[in-house]
Amino acid sequence: MRFIVRRLAFYLLAFWVSITLNFLLPRFMPGDPVTRMFAQASNKMQPEQIEQLRQLFGLDERPIWQQYLTYVQNIFTGQMGVSISRFPTPVSEVIGSQIGWTLLLGGTALVIAVVIGNLLGILAAWRRGGVLDSVFPPILVFVGSFPYFWLAMAALYLFGVVLGWFPIRHAFDAGMMPELSWTFVSSVATHLFLPALTIVLVSIGGWMLGMRNTMIATTAEDYILMAEAKGLTNNRIMFRYAARNAMLPSVTAFGMSFGFIVGGALLTEVVFAYPGVGYQLLAAVQGLDYPLMQGIFLTITAAVLVANFLVDIVYVRLDPRVRVS
Amino acid sequence: MMPHSIRKGRSALALAALVTGAVLLTGCTAGGTAVDTSGEQLLTIPREDMGTFSRNFNPFTPNAAPMTQQAIYESMLVYNPADGGTTPWLATDWAASDDGLELTFTMRDGVTWSDGEPMIAGDVAYTFELQKKLLGGFDYLDSVEADSDQSVRFVLNRPYSPALYEIGQQVIVPQHIWTEIDDPAKDTNGSPVGTGPYTEVTNFQSQSFDLGKNPNYWQPEKQKIAGIRMLAFAGNDGANLAAVNGEVDWAYQFMPDIEKSFVAKDPEHRQFWFPSTGSMINWQLNTTKAPFDDVDVRKALSMAVDREQVTDIAMNGYTSPADCTGLSGAYTTWVDADIAASCDWTNHDVDAANALFDSAGYPLGADGTRTLPDGSPFTLDISVGSASSDWLSAATIIAQNLAEVGITAKVDSPDWPTVSASYEDGSFDTGIVWSNNAPTPYQFYRGVMSSETVKPVGEKTFENYHRFASGEADALLATFAASSDPAVQTEAVNGLQAQFAADAPVIPLFAGPEWGMFTDTRFTGWPTASDPYATLSTKSPTTVLVLTSLEPVTK
Repeated sequence: MRFIVRRLAFYLLAFWVSITLNFLLPRFMPGDPVTRMFAQASNKMQPEQIEQLRQLFGLDERPIWQQYLTYVQNIFTGQMGVSISRFPTPVSEVIGSQIGWTLLLGGTALVIAVVIGNLLGILAAWRRGGVLDSVFPPILVFVGSFPYFWLAMAALYLFGVVLGWFPIRHAFDAGMMPELSWTFVSSVATHLFLPALTIVLVSIGGWMLGMRNTMIATTAEDYILMAEAKGLTNNRIMFRYAARNAMLPSVTAFGMSFGFIVGGALLTEVVFAYPGVGYQLLAAVQGLDYPLMQGIFLTITAAVLVANFLVDIVYVRLDPRVRVS
Repeated sequence: MMPHSIRKGRSALALAALVTGAVLLTGCTAGGTAVDTSGEQLLTIPREDMGTFSRNFNPFTPNAAPMTQQAIYESMLVYNPADGGTTPWLATDWAASDDGLELTFTMRDGVTWSDGEPMIAGDVAYTFELQKKLLGGFDYLDSVEADSDQSVRFVLNRPYSPALYEIGQQVIVPQHIWTEIDDPAKDTNGSPVGTGPYTEVTNFQSQSFDLGKNPNYWQPEKQKIAGIRMLAFAGNDGANLAAVNGEVDWAYQFMPDIEKSFVAKDPEHRQFWFPSTGSMINWQLNTTKAPFDDVDVRKALSMAVDREQVTDIAMNGYTSPADCTGLSGAYTTWVDADIAASCDWTNHDVDAANALFDSAGYPLGADGTRTLPDGSPFTLDISVGSASSDWLSAATIIAQNLAEVGITAKVDSPDWPTVSASYEDGSFDTGIVWSNNAPTPYQFYRGVMSSETVKPVGEKTFENYHRFASGEADALLATFAASSDPAVQTEAVNGLQAQFAADAPVIPLFAGPEWGMFTDTRFTGWPTASDPYATLSTKSPTTVLVLTSLEPVTK
């Protein structure tokens, strides 16, 4: 219990540091959102309108410490302000309408990559030097080292444009309304396939290699030898004895990756025009949309910290050693 | 549900299998797009700079959903830069008083809002009140009075003839709806009531939305298409892909090598048209800095630039080089042919450039580099935002051109906010910058030459970044603004062209093309170079002319 409390204190400190950075960083960027918008609209806005827009957006001219106090207060009351690039939609609404898609895409891809990657790793290590062990790792590492953007574009072009097997954009067909029907769900699934596939392809190699390597170390342990001596079935030894102990690093990695899902699929979302938070973050940075940037960073930070905290708790259960230290 | 890690793995595998199954079942229908010619097909248009839409149809917000200003709300008149014509729209007629201080618009009879209420002059007066309160602008307006339901009078505090188009193109909102809205600046107006042809939001999703027919449109015979479908794209690439695949009917974005990548796929049905009616793109020199305060230097630099190369390479040949009137293709009726023909400083002529540099006191050294009169090397920076790849390559070409006359130019390309900050406070050397674009050349010349727009270095400005003013131009601009007599206006604009040609306040490069491409497999009646009743823009005031001209293809 004391361990968890100590960790919690640490995470609160980390949270405070990150929200403070989150507050400061956008304000160090050159330019301000209104002049940015003015420059983008090129000649469609009159210079006289700039002051008016500043007021409209409620851009803060108060001393920075006062802004900071309001900012911290707003975080704890859940108010993230109004987005500038999608004015007048509140930031929470922008993020809320998109985070579901990001979680669906990132979550599906992560779960598939983790499950398949780890299974491959377990099997590869178990039959060391076998076909699986000698063929898969080099191929997967090769695929994983492609620039992601390029791989995604290639998949989009080949399977979407040339072969026409999959839709090439958006989360579901235009003109559809979200509902719980087979047509809608299958539309979502077809749209999800390519983006998820590309993420799985690039990340699966890492999971496989990581699992394989810890597995190999574990299988050299004495208790595996003892289990074999006891005459247990191969599967039981592989999963219950070896894999279970070799899984710890994967659990950590899973927790961290889970936290990063929120911000991690940016390129995928841009290539496949998937309506997630990642693309919105890019748009927010380009438009110097401070409130939205802060909202998204905050969401990412919170997701990473919460995921890590949960991993810590799980660890206490899985690995008795951490309870002692 | 998931007690053990192994089970968890299995259920995830099952999920994966389920997804794959669904994909296989529907995969075959996803790619093929059969051409819908039922007559009920939606006019499909991509929006290349919005990855997602917000259900915001408030025309007073800068980020309103596309088509708010084009299909939902309408203005009193529509000006078409492609042919210089003006179409009466919500107003049938307008007149200026002799002293130029009053403008009266006669409103069209029988126009109703989409909720069935009549549109009256009071709506116009209310719209301007709201617009000034929320967004500012229209500083020259003293008051707007609805004299009757049919007539609205604008009282100006000074004679200002460009007002006609600025007022005429403001979209009008219904007073009876907007007076009920608590905070018009922040309301998202999710179910808009307008006079436009397509006002009904029939389906709104974050990446696509549909607009259906206005049930009470004032020219129902022109509502031939069933509705509009907008698609969201995070950039040109996705939108171009949709256009190339034939999934959209009408697109408005830059596409490289359009002849080959778009038209050649279906030459019978596909066309593009890029009239150079966009804003003039200039190479702006900071005239508060030496040597750019010297008109001979500006002209010599201009002569060193190979505009053919710039338009061919940087702009894919989609536009043509500027002449020394600085006027884009939107002002063909205003151009003084004599001045345009007499241009010498916008022609590429390395020898003449060298001679002018020499005579102006910027000698070429033995090492082949030019020096300033004080002996220091003649170097300059060209600042362009890194995101604008076309302008960036224009800047690179200019830098190469300058090497031929012994000047070292460095292309400086940080992100746009940094670049525009240096423009705004006057700390930049040179840069590639757009200019004002309005129905008359007044705003263009005011933006590049008027002393009203010049602020001292260090003070932030949002126009005339190059900080150039000319007293003669001020007088001519004042004359233009004070008169609505075409003869007087023409004479003033001719004077402004002569002044521009003499002073070279900025170095004009090329006019921005107004992008536009379409396929007529599902809809016909598009504007083209031979029938320029509108531009092919999906974002400009002329868009409504296209929307009310298209007809669905039915088989």
